[in-house]
Amino acid sequence: MRSQILFLLLGVMWGWSQPGGASLRGADAGAVDFSSDVMAVLSKAGCNQGTCHGNRSGKGGFKLSLRGQDPAFDYRALTRGPRGRRIDRVIPEKSLILLKPAAEVSHEGGRRFRAGDAPFEILRNWIRSGAPGPDSRSAKLERLEVSPGKELEVLVDPVAELQVRVHAVFSDGTRKDVSEFAVYEPVGDTVEVSSRGLVRRSAFGESTVLVRYLGRQEPVRVAFVPSGKGYEWRGPLEKNFIDKAIFGKLKRLRLNSSVVCDDTVFLRRATLDLAGRLPTSDEARAFISAAGPGKRARKIDELLATAGFADFWALKWGDLLRNEEKVLDRKGVQVFQRWIRESIASGKPLDVFAREILTARGSTYRNPPANYLRANRDVLQRAENTAQVFLGVRLACAKCHNHPFERWTQDDYYGWAALFSRVRYKVFENKRRDGLDKNAFVGEQVVWIAREGELKDPRDGKRVAPLLLGTKTGSPGEKDDPLEFLADWVTSRGNPFFSRSLANRIWFNLMGKGLVDPVDDFRATNPSSHPELLGRLARELEEGGFELRKVIRLIMNSSAYQLSSVPVDSNGKVETGFARVLPRRLDAEQLVDGLAQVIGVSPSFNGYPRGIRAVQLPGTNAILPRYKKPSSADVFLKLFGKPDRMLTCECERMSQTHLAQAFHLVSGPMLHDMISSGDNRLGVLADSGLDELELVSELYWSALGRPPSEIETASARRLFSSAGGGRAALEDLAWALVNSKEFLLRR
Amino acid sequence: MNRKDRERLLARGVPGTCGDFETAGISRRSLLRAGGLGMLGLTLPGLLRAEETAALAAPQVKAKSVIFLFQFGGPSHVDTFDMKPGAPAEIRGPHKPIKSVVPGLPVSEHLPRMAKQMDRICLVRSMHHTMKNHNSAAYYALTGHAPPRDDQRLRDSLSLYPAYGSVVDKVAPLKSELPTFVSYPHVISDGSVTPGQRASFLGKAHDPFFIAEDPNSKNFKLPELSLPAGLSFERLQRRREMQKLIDSQSRLLEYSASAKGLDDYYKKALEMLSSTRVRDAFDISREPEAVRESYGRHTYGQGCLLARRLVEAGVRFVTVYFDATIGGRSATSGGWDTHGFDNTRMFPIIEKRHLPITEQTLPTLLDDLDDRGLLDDTLVVWMGEFGRTPKINANKSRDHWPQCYSALLAGGGVKGGYVHGASDSTGAYPSRDPVRPDDLAATVFQLMGIDPATEVYDTQDRPLVIAEGEAITELIA
Repeated sequence: MRSQILFLLLGVMWGWSQPGGASLRGADAGAVDFSSDVMAVLSKAGCNQGTCHGNRSGKGGFKLSLRGQDPAFDYRALTRGPRGRRIDRVIPEKSLILLKPAAEVSHEGGRRFRAGDAPFEILRNWIRSGAPGPDSRSAKLERLEVSPGKELEVLVDPVAELQVRVHAVFSDGTRKDVSEFAVYEPVGDTVEVSSRGLVRRSAFGESTVLVRYLGRQEPVRVAFVPSGKGYEWRGPLEKNFIDKAIFGKLKRLRLNSSVVCDDTVFLRRATLDLAGRLPTSDEARAFISAAGPGKRARKIDELLATAGFADFWALKWGDLLRNEEKVLDRKGVQVFQRWIRESIASGKPLDVFAREILTARGSTYRNPPANYLRANRDVLQRAENTAQVFLGVRLACAKCHNHPFERWTQDDYYGWAALFSRVRYKVFENKRRDGLDKNAFVGEQVVWIAREGELKDPRDGKRVAPLLLGTKTGSPGEKDDPLEFLADWVTSRGNPFFSRSLANRIWFNLMGKGLVDPVDDFRATNPSSHPELLGRLARELEEGGFELRKVIRLIMNSSAYQLSSVPVDSNGKVETGFARVLPRRLDAEQLVDGLAQVIGVSPSFNGYPRGIRAVQLPGTNAILPRYKKPSSADVFLKLFGKPDRMLTCECERMSQTHLAQAFHLVSGPMLHDMISSGDNRLGVLADSGLDELELVSELYWSALGRPPSEIETASARRLFSSAGGGRAALEDLAWALVNSKEFLLRR
Repeated sequence: MNRKDRERLLARGVPGTCGDFETAGISRRSLLRAGGLGMLGLTLPGLLRAEETAALAAPQVKAKSVIFLFQFGGPSHVDTFDMKPGAPAEIRGPHKPIKSVVPGLPVSEHLPRMAKQMDRICLVRSMHHTMKNHNSAAYYALTGHAPPRDDQRLRDSLSLYPAYGSVVDKVAPLKSELPTFVSYPHVISDGSVTPGQRASFLGKAHDPFFIAEDPNSKNFKLPELSLPAGLSFERLQRRREMQKLIDSQSRLLEYSASAKGLDDYYKKALEMLSSTRVRDAFDISREPEAVRESYGRHTYGQGCLLARRLVEAGVRFVTVYFDATIGGRSATSGGWDTHGFDNTRMFPIIEKRHLPITEQTLPTLLDDLDDRGLLDDTLVVWMGEFGRTPKINANKSRDHWPQCYSALLAGGGVKGGYVHGASDSTGAYPSRDPVRPDDLAATVFQLMGIDPATEVYDTQDRPLVIAEGEAITELIA
């Protein structure tokens, strides 16, 4: 949805053909069918869009169903209306539904088409023939035939355009070219689409165009790639099925992958991804000098076995499971984090992990996973969040409306929600500090399932029957515990969502972008870039007993994971396809821990003893800011995107960069205090008796995991002479190193 | 679902749910989509052509800047700008109205300077909504979007809408070293932090440049714009040179958009640190003593003065919070929430605190803006989250009343000496031209030259319009 149709609009303004050109069913007088012809015009001209008359309260007193999902409603809206002025059967040209969009009377929405254009004629002919309503006998749209079809269409520069053709097939067997009347919507911003379905490249890359006509929608996948002149695959060896899939696609796109990265980059990347920290200078030196094949695989195994791995991946799950103090209280947060961490450390299969979370009952202190239900206190929240975390499905839209072209309906939504309606809490005593803060709970709670408790459909006030998502018959029996029933289904082999969603999350955490992206937004109109690969990873996960480490090993040992970020040939012009690694900023916790490690000072976090690392913090605010001023490190974490854990969405961890971050690094208190602190590692180094060259080298190895280049050594020595004194020079050099892009980014 | 239900739903959305999200869609307004042209990959000629074709020039900019004076706690409309002298004693209260310079527009006797300036004021007397809790109502006032529920527990999260200023920063940012949106000197909260003060799903890049320091304090200065002790600007430059050298070695700046983005922020931070324009804008100590006195030597008064300095420098949106808390029980601190709890009494409190502060600051600010020729293109908004009960309660005070209240606008393209809407004989409900916060939001954006139907995207990529309401064209000059 990110990029919508500008060009639809432009097309609407000037792109209509004159009648008699590509005419639609019934552009001739007397044969206009409301449900197909008139409805198509309303969609094409944009009348029923959400920001126009499709708005829930309409516009200017005129309301249509959103994107034409309800022809009968729209018929009434068109034909009964302010004193019948929308339709003038006597003088059709005086009808408001012609005068307004043709901008012959003032129309807030501007001119949508001109008198004489095909849509104008269709509407006029429809009115002239008496404005007949939807006719149950008229032919129904059965399917759309779109060319190109489902396969990815690859177009090599200088080709920069593609004409999409759309045929509608009706129940009476007629087949019409409706390219002119279909609505085209590009997903992403690398293409633009004209009103007639001419797709134009605005940047190289892969893209999807959604094609809609009446009640049907089909995606068209298209990739515009740089010139493949003299193209020859020169990418690295295929090490496993992942490389086969990634490189296979790159070959189709006539792109090369970057080369495999060097050991320095690999070690830093792998240590950050698995343990959430930087390699120490000793680790870096040892790894670079180690010889022999297989040292990368051994390093991966070694890191997977560290406590840091459990810390860091528990942090990620803590985000998703909303482990935060206000609702769970400090003790709850600690036991829940310990439980998550222990589950990861012990290699608990992910299906068991999910099952334990979804079915946990009892005391939130003694049975930590019960904190998931404690955190999600509202039935709809439980339903939406569970679908998002464990199924990769976003249901929120379906709460309020059926999306005309998406799968999830309000019935699906409330049926799924009804499974969660019997969750109850026994709150023994709430010792919250501020009686007015009704979100806060302090004290043990018991989560239990009531015998009764139904969900009422807000649309009609009737009881909703619980139903598994996307099934027609998945209702628990009278005696079933609804959440046991739900957990059985979620974690069952063959569940269409669970293993794919988990595999995609693991991929996302290592590769920076999901195979389905955003990572929790699986739907037909957001297709995977590599569907077969995703299917295979999901199968590996299922067949490998849902072992997290197994899938991580598969991904990290591939050449695809180990690619350099430096572009080769034309792959720098493309962001899709995993042709190279895209550098990204370190997470907030990785940054604070990294700074602490390099400079040798432990920052303090409110509510915790000094020495705890940021990735080990169990919650978000051990002490609320209004009770104790947050430490500079607490502020830093928030500023760099540590989530508040209010949403079960990866998106809550903001990876963007902004000005306030730069201020915090340039003039903010945390880094300055760390660097100038008397007893930090810089002080130790200054007094160590090492010579200038050794000092410079040590700082480079600590911060960047590599030795300084010649020119860097020379500049550093100049710094030493101009700073007047070892300590000050070390401070300046340390500042420059930790503010370098090489430090701040994972590449 | 039968037709009647459907229509009811379509008309109002499901009660207590996310009605706003139904506005997904495409329109001519997508032209003005947030995120700028770059994100769309549009060429400028393409865009100009598009705009031209759609006959859709953005609304005219009437207010280059906005000063939003938020009166947390909820000022009483019937004791300030919508008095009801003809109503029974338990409604009209002890205060008397006095004539203002605008015939038929009396104000409280405690606001005589305001009375002389009502010809500058565009008074909306028919504000209304249904949120009785401070956090929900204040969120509504600060964002123009109805909260998902009327609940004190409404927590700030990325699923809620951003503050006005953050929207401006997203869709119409300043192209200078100055911040677009500045807010201070409190983070307001009632139990939990009131939502609507920051950028929410637009991202932290669009959070306000927030000042926690007290502009009335002697040593008022911004930590961001000051180097820490022991770090001279020369030394910082030296560090920056070394940083640049290391960056050149990794070549990241040549091929990584993230690296380039980060470096741009370093550049901008250093620019701001060394910019006298920025430092001066925030340096309230440069104001003559008499001017500082005229605004009142208290946090809010100096905040209003700082707001004038900031819009003078070019900042587009300044939010000044009257107080951090709803208050109402003290004549020396706190906001406007005067219920009469704990044996306190509303009228003595507002006579000593809220009305004198208003009387001192608002006319001074308007005069000052006008003297400097800034009032014509600076919109001043003065409002709380709701009004107070027309009927005086058992504590001789008034409780929350969202069903009808007043908002004051001035300058920036609104009519002066103009009253929009009216309340009924007791001030209980709008009797004419009711206005929702959604409409006020649309009006503010329109005055700033921003199409209220501009779309932004939330964390789930749903397209949402920045204001759901209709701009009130009657009050635009």
